[in-house]
Parts: sequence; C-alpha cells; structure tokens
Amino acid sequence: MSAPLPTPEKTSSPEAREALRAAMVRLAEGDSAALEEIYSATRVKLFGICYRILGDRKEAEDALQDVYVNLWQRADRYDPQRASPISWLATFARNRAIDRLRTGKVRSGAVPVEEAAPLPDETPLADALLVNAERDAQIHKCLNGLDENAQTYIRAAFFEGRTYAQLAETADVPLGTMKSWIRRGLIKLRACLEASEASDEQKGGAA
Amino acid sequence: MTDTPDQKPENMTPQERERILAAEFSLGLLEGEELLSARGRMTNDPDFAWRRQWWDDWFVPLSDDVRGAEPSSHVWDAISAQLQPQAAPAQADVSNVVLLDMERRVRRWKWTAGAASAAAAVALALFVSTPSAPPISGETPPLMAAAEAPLMASIPVGDTLRLGVTFLPDSDEMLVSAAGFTADGVHDHELWLVPADGSALQSLGVVVPGEERRVTLASEIVSNMGDGVELVLTREPLGGKPEGVDAGPVVAQGAFGAV
Repeated sequence: MSAPLPTPEKTSSPEAREALRAAMVRLAEGDSAALEEIYSATRVKLFGICYRILGDRKEAEDALQDVYVNLWQRADRYDPQRASPISWLATFARNRAIDRLRTGKVRSGAVPVEEAAPLPDETPLADALLVNAERDAQIHKCLNGLDENAQTYIRAAFFEGRTYAQLAETADVPLGTMKSWIRRGLIKLRACLEASEASDEQKGGAA
Repeated sequence: MTDTPDQKPENMTPQERERILAAEFSLGLLEGEELLSARGRMTNDPDFAWRRQWWDDWFVPLSDDVRGAEPSSHVWDAISAQLQPQAAPAQADVSNVVLLDMERRVRRWKWTAGAASAAAAVALALFVSTPSAPPISGETPPLMAAAEAPLMASIPVGDTLRLGVTFLPDSDEMLVSAAGFTADGVHDHELWLVPADGSALQSLGVVVPGEERRVTLASEIVSNMGDGVELVLTREPLGGKPEGVDAGPVVAQGAFGAV
C-alpha cells in the first residue's frame, strides 16, 4: 500500500481513458486496489484543481484525501455510459473543494483574481487527462464571445470558487453590478452553447 | 440562428432565471440561503439537477487549463489507511474510521437524563440569576453575543448525501435540509450541537428525511452558536434518543462555518 506510486504517464490517449473507466468500474464493484490505479493516473490533475480553488497546500491535500476516500465510498454512482471518467472526477473534486471553501475555515484562499484573468496560455501538463477537446474548444469560443467583465469573472468563479460577494469586493463594484455582469454573460453563454449543441445534432454528431 | 438578443438580466423570465440559477450554482457563486436551497433542489427537482449537470459538463473542460500539481506522498498513505478491504463500497457505513474518534469524544459527555433537561437546567439557572428577564415567556437573553452572519454546515452522511444546516442569527432560526434522505422505518437520526465550552450536547431535533425543516431555536442553544461549532448526527430509535439512555452511534459530524 505504501509502495512508491508510479509516475503518471501521458494519459490523454483513448487507451488511458478506457483504462481509467475500467478502473472506476472495478472500484464500484468493490475492488479497492483499483483506487490506487485511479489515484496514480489522476492525482496531479485533481490536486491542481483543489489547490487552485483552496490556495493552500495543506487544505488542498486534505481536500484531495477527502475526494478519493469519497470516491471509494461512492464509486457506484459513476455512470460509465454518461460521462468520461476524468470529467466526472474533475467535477467531483472541484465540488468538494468548493464545499470546503464554503463551510470550512478556509476563507477565500485562492490566488488573486487578477492572476486568473488572462489564463496562462501554457500547454496543460503532459500528464493531465484532457477532459474533452471538442467541448473544450467550444466553451472557450463561447466564453471569448462575452463582454470582458463577464469573461473575467465567470472564469474567476470557476477557477477560484469565488462567490458573487467576493467577486464584487475584489472588483470594487456594487454586488448588483457584479450579478448583472455575470448573469448577462451566462445568458449569452447558454445561447452560444445551446447553438453549438443544435449544430452538432444537425451534423448527426450528437453523442 | 446564433444571434442572441443582448438580454438584460432584469428582464429574465422566471424560466430563464432558473437556468441561470443552475449555472450560478455550478460555478459556485451562490451562498447563504440561496446556496442551501439550490442544494436541496438537487434531490427534489430533477429538472434543476439536469440543468446543473448540463452546466457542469460544459464548464469542466476549463479545468484542463488548471496547472497540475504533485501532492505529498503522505496523502496516499492517509487514503490507503482508510481503505478497509472487507468493506465493499455499497456497504461502507459512512467513513467509520473518521468517525471513531468523534464517537469516542462524544462518549466522554455524560448522557445523563438527556440533553433537553440539561438545557432546561441551564435556562432555569440563568432565569434565577437574571431578575430583569421577562418572567412570562421564560425566554432568557443569550449568554453571549451570537454570531452575526448566517452559519452553515454541510454534513456528509453515508456515501452520497449531505445534511445542510443553516443558522440565521437575525431570527434565531435554523434550517435543516434533509433532501434526499429516506427513512428506513427503524431508525431516526438526531442532530446535536456540541457546545464549545464542553458542556452537555444540545439536541437540535430529529432529522425529517426528505424535508427542509425550519425551527426557531431556544436562547440556550443560540448562545452556543458560532463559527466552528461542531455538530454530530446520531442514529437513534424512532422518535429520537429516549430519556435516560446513551445516545446512539455517531454517524456523521460537521462544523458550522460563517457563510
């Protein structure tokens, strides 16, 4: 159990995704050894997500531990038909980290919003499992079509788990203004994403 | 086809507001009562849950932009220490390991004639020593200034559920959201406040499965409310802990945090 973990390999390949999916299914069937496999393939990505939101290494490690222990307990909830395993895990980790941020002692520990605004245009780590390249391109395209304020603060909310009130405080604008920026952005974003889904269906490419 | 009227949020229809609410929830923008209510709706309202999922699925590819990081090796050690090979996930009864320590702590409190009468004794003592207290209502002023901001606790129960507890200091009301919980017909779960000063636990009542319950708290409970105050959930016979017996096993625990 305490043997050194293998270094994650490049896992954005379909093979890696399938291996992860299979490990999740085995975990759901009660094979706790599968958890180690899942951990070694996904820890870097999920820890990155927790760390980004919580802004504190110790808190992020506690959150990460919580993520995998919970995963072990509720792996049967994962529906292999519905979502890619890594997107399910990434959502799961982000939600756990945000829960922690809202209910724990961690108070807005994330990195300042200005640092998040222009996203570092770096290639994601080679060992990061890519969630879904096509949808990734589409959400970026739709986000880029929004007004600058909406873009900036929707990203800040996603990456740092900030609330309306925290964003308004950081931006030094009234709460109503912040809500208005973001809601306007979300309305446009939804229209853009729905349009892309509709055109996917027309092309017969609906999943 | 893709041209979108630049709709103003003020002019949203209720239906549009709903869709945006799911996005706000997915992003984590909500707090306080809005957050609690959104959490509750995840289990009560399939349409809302679907919307939330829709947004989650669209937003999650953004996490590819988050730089990965290597956690310390002790994280895996801690995780593997919690794996019990015999227990299949489906039967895993909460996180037993985590809770054992809490249970030991709870045992240290003397479950004498029940927390209710202990609380009553506190109230009585206070009443006697506070001549200016209004005699009719029997209500006592809080022992100390209660927290100002709403307090919230999200208590993981079992492997899938969360019990949402919110305390609203301006009205001394507590909301307990047990959405998604189902009764097993044999047990009830009772929620307890663990006073920070080490005094006897105070019952916050039996959790009503599947419902959101709003209650006004007695001042002797309100005075113990605060950021970081712990809550425990015990498994009891139907109707809650009987008088004169020890409380049942602790099945979950959490702490209040300022919202």
